[in-house]
Amino acid sequence: MKFSIGLAALAVGMMIAAAPAGAADKKVLGVSIPSATHGWAGGLNWHAQQAKIALEKKYPDLSIALVTAGDATRQANDLEDLVQVRKIDALVILPFESAPLTEPVRQVKNAGKWITIVDRGLTDPSIQDLYVAGNNPQMGANSANFMVKKMGGKGNIVILRGIPTVIDNQRFDAFMDIVKKTDIKVLDSKYANWNRDDGFKVMQDFLSRFPKIDAVWAQDDDITLGVIEAVKQAGREKDLFILGGAGMKEMVKRVMDKDVLVPADVLYPPKMIADAMELTAKHMMENAPLEKQYIVDATLVTPENAKQFYYPDSPF
Amino acid sequence: MPDTSHAANRASSARRRADFKALGPFIALAALIVLGAVVNPVFLTPGNLINVLTRTAFTGVIAIGGTFIITTGGIDLSVGALAAFVSGVMIIVMNALTPEGLPPLMVVLLGTLTVMVIGALAGLVNGLLITRGRIEPFIVTLGTMGIFRSLVTYLADGGTLSLNSQIRSFYRPVYYSGVLGITYPIIVFALVSVIGAIVLYRTRYGRYVTATGANEEVARYSAIHVDRIKLAAYALQGLCVGLAVFLYVPRLGSASATTGLGWELEAIAAVIIGGTLMKGGSGRIWGTVSGAIILASIDNILNLTGAISVYLNSAIQGCIIIVAVLVQRDAKSRP
Amino acid sequence: MSASVLAGQGIAKSFGPVQVLFGVDFAVRAGEVHALVGENGAGKSTLMKILGGYQPASAGTILVDGKPVSLRDSEIAERLGIVMIHQEFNLAETMTVAENIFLGREIVRHCFIDREAMRRASVKVLAELECVVDSDARISELSVSEKQMVEIAKAVSRDVRVLIMDEPTAVLTGAETEVLFRLIRRLRSQGVGVVYISHKLNEVKAISDRVTVLRDGRFIATEATAAVTPDDIARLMVGRDMSDMYPLHHLPPDDAPVVLAVDGLTVPGWVERASFELRRGEILGFAGLIGAGRTELMEGVVGLRSRSAGQVTAGNGRSIRSYDDAIAAGVAYLTEDRKKRGLLVDKPLTPNLTLLALGRYGKIFIDLAAERAATAKAIDTYQIKAGDIDMKVSSLSGGNQQKLLLAKTMQVEPKILIVDEPTRGIDVGTKHQIYLFLDEFAQGGGSVIVISSEMPELIGLAHRVVVMREGRVTGTLAGAEIDETNIVRYATGLSGVGADA
Repeated sequence: MKFSIGLAALAVGMMIAAAPAGAADKKVLGVSIPSATHGWAGGLNWHAQQAKIALEKKYPDLSIALVTAGDATRQANDLEDLVQVRKIDALVILPFESAPLTEPVRQVKNAGKWITIVDRGLTDPSIQDLYVAGNNPQMGANSANFMVKKMGGKGNIVILRGIPTVIDNQRFDAFMDIVKKTDIKVLDSKYANWNRDDGFKVMQDFLSRFPKIDAVWAQDDDITLGVIEAVKQAGREKDLFILGGAGMKEMVKRVMDKDVLVPADVLYPPKMIADAMELTAKHMMENAPLEKQYIVDATLVTPENAKQFYYPDSPF
Repeated sequence: MPDTSHAANRASSARRRADFKALGPFIALAALIVLGAVVNPVFLTPGNLINVLTRTAFTGVIAIGGTFIITTGGIDLSVGALAAFVSGVMIIVMNALTPEGLPPLMVVLLGTLTVMVIGALAGLVNGLLITRGRIEPFIVTLGTMGIFRSLVTYLADGGTLSLNSQIRSFYRPVYYSGVLGITYPIIVFALVSVIGAIVLYRTRYGRYVTATGANEEVARYSAIHVDRIKLAAYALQGLCVGLAVFLYVPRLGSASATTGLGWELEAIAAVIIGGTLMKGGSGRIWGTVSGAIILASIDNILNLTGAISVYLNSAIQGCIIIVAVLVQRDAKSRP
Repeated sequence: MSASVLAGQGIAKSFGPVQVLFGVDFAVRAGEVHALVGENGAGKSTLMKILGGYQPASAGTILVDGKPVSLRDSEIAERLGIVMIHQEFNLAETMTVAENIFLGREIVRHCFIDREAMRRASVKVLAELECVVDSDARISELSVSEKQMVEIAKAVSRDVRVLIMDEPTAVLTGAETEVLFRLIRRLRSQGVGVVYISHKLNEVKAISDRVTVLRDGRFIATEATAAVTPDDIARLMVGRDMSDMYPLHHLPPDDAPVVLAVDGLTVPGWVERASFELRRGEILGFAGLIGAGRTELMEGVVGLRSRSAGQVTAGNGRSIRSYDDAIAAGVAYLTEDRKKRGLLVDKPLTPNLTLLALGRYGKIFIDLAAERAATAKAIDTYQIKAGDIDMKVSSLSGGNQQKLLLAKTMQVEPKILIVDEPTRGIDVGTKHQIYLFLDEFAQGGGSVIVISSEMPELIGLAHRVVVMREGRVTGTLAGAEIDETNIVRYATGLSGVGADA
């Protein structure tokens, strides 16, 4: 039962076709994640895929059912299928949105399954048995601290935000808390939707509008790619630097290569899904004791440590 | 049963209305330009105007094709996904050709040829399903939209396809350079618009497109091969998507599952803002051009001001689009 | 003599600077059928739209039961019991008969629509009208005459006092017209005042009690119908004598060659093995009831409809399989449905005129100047009354639309012209023009096939008449045989192939 990420949409259908036969004696771990609609989610899918292969090899009695969904409603439907058709014993889920998925996940919990929540917490944390997440406020804070230090506490910056969600707000608020205590002036912030084309357009307009920009906080590496092109077009590479986030391999490579335009990156690794799967599998198969929470640090990637965060085979 | 002088009077007033209606999108654009200049004088600087027009080029070129589709009474929702798919194919093809030792110009030309052929073929598939399969255009292109979108995700393995740097630096000027400061995408957009206008207004094909959308039965009873006209329109749309991709790929040199997301709606909105009738039978190329520029300008103006909360961006866009269409509607109902 | 239910006094109407009605007086009494006649453009429809509340008058008074009223919109008029049935019906095609009858005033019980009550009430109304339409049928499934019945049922169910009918028989067959007349008489006996707009003077004579004639927006006369002949009425309408309605028959010579041979043509579901021949210079009429398959046969002949058997051969021996073949062989078809199949009504004259023959104005690029010149020429040749060359076709009167459609068809310079109901819904003057045109065309070496449901037209025009019934050719009449009795016998199956007797 192999399916590539690109064909993930078919997963639900195949799942039904390939119902439990032979899986009865095996333990089943269900994994539900959003489909690969942007770079970070692409990395998420890749890491989940890698973890599935590795874990199924490591534990011959473990079967992993990986499903991806394009929106919250479909993800809720997936959960029902995982419980009823695939007879899962535990669930690892990265919820599309917090509120709409809280009740569906509670249903799974009530069916007696182990619940591991990744990245986006449910509105009722008591449902989860394990919580694995990146640290959004820390990501904003680390980004701010790096910028403040690099700019000597003064100068003009612009911010390209993601999309209006809790994650984005947490990062942004933590960033602003630190920056507003300094002489750094935030010229403006606009949404760039975690998207390269939007990053390019918004940055073009910022460059037209503000003659003096010292730094850009792009918050996400897909956006950063667009920002770099806009800066290059305007010929202002020498005047400013860009700080992205997430740990895209192209950006980590630039940091490794000591690119002055992108001097650092802040991790928000999609690999956290693999960590969550591994911890859960370990608990299922070896009954290993677990902490309730496992927070992945938003580590600052610098030329010194870049090598250990570089995954050249990952799509992200 | 009006007598002739009465009819004459009605006709000339109808024409005045039509004239006003045709002017609607241009008036809306002019008003938006004034608004932009008031919001931030930077709006009118040549650099900014070139940026905006260059960005308009992709959806603009697609919307010219869309004008033909909508004039036949159809719709194509698959253009954004198709753009992403052919972008991906183009990058893969060019990356594969580079190690063959071909000169970069050759690689880019072959890549371009590929996107044009694939674009036109994809359009033909849409057209065949609609004309031969007798399926509603909305459903056909909704289906192919999903197919193209997941094909590019598949090609990119869920991530991003990037053009290798050697071709990239050779190809880059297609987006960023131009003649006398006017970038190539603007020049191509202008040429496509002129050609589109000539085809729609001055050729037999254009007349048949209009007749088909106005009343398919009348067209059939006038010895017009309605199916062939539609098929050609969808192929033409695919070709326009290919051309848009040719302009788009050198910008960021990458393609992913998010490439071209929402372009179909932007293109359709540009066509409708431009005064083309959604039900078909009346197409306005120059209206579409100004519609596309209006949409790109709204984004730009919002980015040039800090006065409006970013949370309200979409609301402002929505209002301006509705007002732009209302201007025409008002003009229409005025006696 | 009863008093007037609805009356207009000194009604005038101007559109901008153009006046179309000049102080017209018109009154309809309870329990009378009042015919309103006049040539196209005489102002009949405008007058009725004013009395029906669809348009405001520029001057004049409207009286209901002798009291002045203001009919600001058709809803107010309907509340006063004045209902107008338009030529284009006002029915929701996808809804049922019952839903349409109660459209806008549904019977509601406990917040829900009471379908059963509506159905019962509809059945009752339809039964009163002796109408066999199923109240659960969808409008789109009904024939034109059945739709009209539904419109009337809708009006009756609203306590109608004045029913205005605009050209109600334009699309009906003779038998259906009889049903309609019975219905009108019944309404009259119930005290309803009926205004009957028509071009068909023999119908006016048959059904109406009084007749009012308009000409060029002016009131000409109101007469008791019994006191005038159709010729009198026609004279009042045109202001001159209307003898020689039809041209003299110019029969082709006996040795005129066959220019179109149809052999065993079958159009699935419509036409069964039909055969006929058309000779050079001939005007061949096609008679039959609606649904006899005449239109379908001709569409099959020119390749607009798929056929399962048979052969169509043009004079030069070439076989016609598609509409392209037909046009190439000089065969052109003028549809009966000028608004849905003939003309792009939202477009100006020029693109309509040249649409069929666009290849003559350029292979790829259209010669716009030549197109415009052709329009100017067509307006002149066919005497199309268009105030402005750029006006929309929908603003033309029916007669002028028909002349434009004829001009469009003639653009391909056909040698054989197949015209389907060429004078439906148009005025006497234009009819006469079209008859003359067809006659001249035949005399000039062309050949004509005329499908018509108006028997006087076929008798007056055709050299031979083919009669069809239920998809088959039942007989061909020539010379003195062409009369109403013979046509009806063949059309209804009393004579000819498959005769019941």
